[in-house]
Amino acid sequence: MTCQNCKREATVHVTEEINGKRREMHLCARCAREAGYDSVDDPPMFGLEGILQSFILAHVGEMVGELSRRFCPLCGLKFMDFRGQGRLGCPNDYAMFDHGLAPIVRRVQGASRHVGKIPARRGAAAAGLNRLKLRAQLRDAIEREDFEEAARLRDRLRPAEDDR
Amino acid sequence: MNIDDLTRTSGEWLRGTGPESDIVMCSRIRLARNLADFPFTNRAGRREKNEIEAAVAASIEQGKIELFVQDVNNLSNLDRQFLFERQLISRELRDAEGPRGVAFSPTEDVSVMINEEDHLRIQVMHSGLSLGSVWDRINYIDDRLEERLDYAFSPRLGYLTACPTNVGTGIRVGVLVHLPALVQTKQIEKVFRALQKINLAVRGLYGEGTQASGDFYQISNQQTLGKSEQDLIRNLSEVVPQIIQYERGARQALVGEQRRQYLHDQVSRAYGVLKTAHTISSEETMLLLSSVRMGINLGLIDDLEIPIVNELFIHTQPAHLQKIQGRILETDERNVARASYLRNRLSNGRHDPKNDG
Repeated sequence: MTCQNCKREATVHVTEEINGKRREMHLCARCAREAGYDSVDDPPMFGLEGILQSFILAHVGEMVGELSRRFCPLCGLKFMDFRGQGRLGCPNDYAMFDHGLAPIVRRVQGASRHVGKIPARRGAAAAGLNRLKLRAQLRDAIEREDFEEAARLRDRLRPAEDDR
Repeated sequence: MNIDDLTRTSGEWLRGTGPESDIVMCSRIRLARNLADFPFTNRAGRREKNEIEAAVAASIEQGKIELFVQDVNNLSNLDRQFLFERQLISRELRDAEGPRGVAFSPTEDVSVMINEEDHLRIQVMHSGLSLGSVWDRINYIDDRLEERLDYAFSPRLGYLTACPTNVGTGIRVGVLVHLPALVQTKQIEKVFRALQKINLAVRGLYGEGTQASGDFYQISNQQTLGKSEQDLIRNLSEVVPQIIQYERGARQALVGEQRRQYLHDQVSRAYGVLKTAHTISSEETMLLLSSVRMGINLGLIDDLEIPIVNELFIHTQPAHLQKIQGRILETDERNVARASYLRNRLSNGRHDPKNDG
């Protein structure tokens, strides 16, 4: 079976039920990661961490169950990493884990919306997010030892930096 | 400018001027900022951290912001400890690994830490209760940096930070207050509890988790989301005068009719020990300097000025003594060097500090 997004071999098969409707997805590892589904190849967790995680899953319910499978394709952080360390991995995590973070933010801050200073240059954060994605691809390329791709990505990152 | 030059000077925030500076040593604001196009420091690789450090340094240089950029990664442990004692870097930046740095102004009122928990931790400190001027300065530095750096920002959540406890404004507004009389009259715990109830944090002189030393406490906001910078500054600005009033009340009780001679005795003995000891620990120095500082403010000592005492709190710290002496000293040697330094600075017909040691 091929991936429904690209033509690679599909290795991740997901069945989801959203609002009573069943949905099947067949994705390759890369597309699955980008869609926020953890690799099924990850070894199961044992020991205290696993026990803690199942405890959180059992007591915080389905939403966290889904969250626990999520991870940020841009920095690799899993929501469970955050539960353990209390630190996020990149600016994209706030959007990625919004469901899980929003109640935590509300509890520690007593508020959920920013009031106050905003950066003068609009769109800087969006441009930054694009480069964050390129950097994630660059890390992947280096890991795969695909140095041609890495060089190409570095070139794409460079002009953006010189523009500033 | 380099680190060794700093041993001959001291930060402007120690000069003991500004409103309420007998009790409020300094006002401080810090802003947490991150670049939108990099993972947060804890997930950034070595190469990325180098790029972050370079980008911040370039923005300072191109923006002609008058800050001296110092790499921290390649410094000796002694120099890192020195910058920490100086309040120019945090414990976290001192102890971290990998590419990181700090940029600071010649008067040391501004410091920008690079690759701390967040990519940038901008800090401004001014003497006395002066949060308004501190905000103006830090807001300006932040604007100038932002001209060339793409900050991670979301319209809903504000400035995005590695820890959600800082998200939003990314601001921490604080004052460093000297509360010896509240400590001595055992009312300090009551004050802490009251502050915690209104969501303010209390820490010691050297930040989180340290034992308060020299009766100095940092009081700061905890909430960063849902309130504007001005509101958070106003909140603290309204609370601090009450603490000042409690401390003044406690001091008056200590110099009241019956007890004045006991306090005068305590202060004079503290001063005497500092002027004559031949070996003295850091803790004892802090304790005695605290008494002397209060004694000057109550008119019980009239031949010593507050800025010198403020400076001694910092200059008698371990790394400072070693930098001044120009060599590594063991604890025993430091205690001797500290006593000698104190005798020098406090002796009548005081030496010009520039010629000391």
